[in-house]
Amino acid sequence: MSPTASKSDTPLQVIDNATCTFCGCVCDDIQLHHDEMRIHKAKKACVLGSAWFLNHTAEKKYPSALIDGKEATVDEAIEEAARLLHEADMPLVYGMSNTTCEAQKECAALADSLGGLLDSHTSL
Amino acid sequence: MGGKVTCTLGEVKQRADFIIYWGGNPAECHPRHFSKYTLMQKSKFLPKGRKDRTMVLVDIRETKSVKASDIFLQVRPGKDFELITILRALVKEQQVTDEQIEETGLSREALNDLVSRMKAAKFGCMFFGMGLSMTRGKHMNSAALLTLAAEMNAFTKFVAMPMRGHGNVTGADVIMRWQTGFPFGISFNRGYPRYNPGEFSTIDVLVRGDCDAAFIIGADPGGTMPQPAINHLKRIPTIVLDPHITHTSKLARVHITTAAQGIAAPGTAYRMDEIPMPLKPALKSPYPSDEEVVRRINEAIAKKPFWLPEGSMPQMVTEQV
Repeated sequence: MSPTASKSDTPLQVIDNATCTFCGCVCDDIQLHHDEMRIHKAKKACVLGSAWFLNHTAEKKYPSALIDGKEATVDEAIEEAARLLHEADMPLVYGMSNTTCEAQKECAALADSLGGLLDSHTSL
Repeated sequence: MGGKVTCTLGEVKQRADFIIYWGGNPAECHPRHFSKYTLMQKSKFLPKGRKDRTMVLVDIRETKSVKASDIFLQVRPGKDFELITILRALVKEQQVTDEQIEETGLSREALNDLVSRMKAAKFGCMFFGMGLSMTRGKHMNSAALLTLAAEMNAFTKFVAMPMRGHGNVTGADVIMRWQTGFPFGISFNRGYPRYNPGEFSTIDVLVRGDCDAAFIIGADPGGTMPQPAINHLKRIPTIVLDPHITHTSKLARVHITTAAQGIAAPGTAYRMDEIPMPLKPALKSPYPSDEEVVRRINEAIAKKPFWLPEGSMPQMVTEQV
């Protein structure tokens, strides 16, 4: 069995120089071996990075969205989120650590259009 | 980079022969920092790699990083600011009393040795972690260390860099600076961005109960924040975007599951030295990306009347439209 073969003998796909976003090092030399459902191996990654890559799968583990604890569609949840944020006088947009710069830019636009607050983990 | 004396990790890897880690435990929190950038790498300027470099660790207790260090200085808890101030005085050969040195838990010999090593270095770099920036003195500690780095440049090349955790938190700083001019703690309630940490920073806002809705993305305050802040998140409508059902999701009115960045969602993330890295997602997630969901929320809000009375628009906004 070659090192890139999985237990079911279907060869794994390999991604070279993948980027790990677990810690601030953002290592960009990771080799990922995956079968589109889960990542089986993260070569060069450290203990923390391996755990980060191997613990995420493409399975549908959670409902797409929850409104008041009940399952809902993404469309309904987006409408409800927009309604709640628009109704608020002083909404807070917070976090933005475990997300991409593209999403962060949208968050800045969100806080701007709401006339609200914008803050990240840095302020802790 | 906000006026701080810093550099990229590539320069550290190539040139830094003197490294100080202050209030951090890279061996456990940033495991590849030593091997990839600071200690183990050989370069044109440091051909012998680890042997050409000196590493000093300053911390309040012995962590696993001590093994990797050449010199370990155990500072008394809460005395970082005092120690940095003493170092700044010693660097300039100013008088420091024995009592002042004793307060930090270190000896005059150890500090004189450190100062002479710092001055003898060709390229010094100080990395500071949360042990410095999140303890007594907080941002004043970071500011003092950055000042020490700047002042060391009267003798030799010296830089300082924060050890950022949490994936793309550096990106959040960079994006907010680009979009608003400020790195965090921003309010748009006058229609233009204002910056005031303490007033607009999240914990303060939540503990005082200033906000009446919260939009949480890529964070789990429900698991990390003080109880009064969590209690306020329970009281107000909270919206959470996360790849998992988090503590915050459980107290939220709306939770939307999104694809994990870098694993199933493409985009860009910033390294701690503010170098942007493209992400190479391996998996196809059944969930939408954060970017897509926030953009769709923005579009839904844009269809509603503007937040000023009767949906009237401020003049500067109307002119742009």
